[in-house]
Amino acid sequence: MSDNNKPLARLLIVDDDPDIVQVLKMGLVKNGFLVEAFTNPQEALQSFKSDAESYCLVVSDIRMPSLSGIQLSKKVKEINPNVKVVLMTAFEIRDNEFSKVFPSTQVDGFVQKPIGIKDLTDKILSLIGDTKNRKKGEEAKRGKDIGENREQR
Amino acid sequence: MRIESKDSQESIQRWFDKEVEDGENVILVYPNLQAFREIYTMYVKDQLAEAREQEVKEEDNNNNNSSRDNNEQSKSRIILIAPFYETVNSVKHQLSAFGIENVQGLIDSGSLVIADSFHSFFPDTKGMKKLIDSLSIRARKEGRPGVTAIVDMGFFFLFGGDSMAADLISYEASLAPKTQDGNVKGVSCYHWGNYETLTERDKGLLTQGQRKKLLEVREIRNYS
Repeated sequence: MSDNNKPLARLLIVDDDPDIVQVLKMGLVKNGFLVEAFTNPQEALQSFKSDAESYCLVVSDIRMPSLSGIQLSKKVKEINPNVKVVLMTAFEIRDNEFSKVFPSTQVDGFVQKPIGIKDLTDKILSLIGDTKNRKKGEEAKRGKDIGENREQR
Repeated sequence: MRIESKDSQESIQRWFDKEVEDGENVILVYPNLQAFREIYTMYVKDQLAEAREQEVKEEDNNNNNSSRDNNEQSKSRIILIAPFYETVNSVKHQLSAFGIENVQGLIDSGSLVIADSFHSFFPDTKGMKKLIDSLSIRARKEGRPGVTAIVDMGFFFLFGGDSMAADLISYEASLAPKTQDGNVKGVSCYHWGNYETLTERDKGLLTQGQRKKLLEVREIRNYS
């Protein structure tokens, strides 16, 4: 948990394997995240829709029946374009293959299962850090623009 | 045509043999991954048991100085398992865990082929047909009774989108419901969660439109 006991971020974890969901949830909660975990991707999407702005990042398995991780990624990005998405797979990841298969998929990262909690936490923090840095940059830019506008007046 | 598995005491192989003839392609809808695992595991187990029975019969025949050449009959079908929601290693593990000895030996002897269906459908969906055709040719060359192809169709549901159902129906249409003198029993397996995302019209086109049997597995009990 962070210094002031506030969670680092709210995450959505989705995997049709209940064991994986349970292990990831336990590990990520221990590392200070607020985690909502689902084995049913449709239920996960409903949860996301109900409070989309509260989620910073989605970690999802790719090959799931009824709604794949790729489809889920598209849907959550349509609802909240700022949310980061990390896709997980137990299958071998070949970079060239993924760029061919997922050319139009807006995904922020891939991880290969099995993945340790530390590695996943590092991956999540690096992506959330990107978001926070970008937000800070945007805020700074907005501040600068306001300042310039005032000067021009 | 819709057939549901009701008789829990019936072996998967006998059920398959009754419902799926050589040269026939059918559609099977399974309720969950565990059921799919039980289907392929018990099929392999039944197949091995039958091969052993055959060996015993042949030994008896040989002991009785039978002149009949049973070499062809002693060879088993080739079984192709092409999963989508689990890895090749997971399938091997499942088979071993259910008491099938020397899974690697079955693979090495060419009786069992396990292939990730993603890599057989991608980048060209015809890849799966080519794989099955090559196994069919090999079965004939080796004097085997034929091929049973248990293929998970999850690949077609990976991306979703408007063209998904059309691609799927087009692929199924390329598999004839029955081929004269064919030696392949083709089983296109659909996870219920995927099958239910299809419209009623698309489900109809997938089955009745192509005169294919629909085997719906609701529950599997007492197969172990």
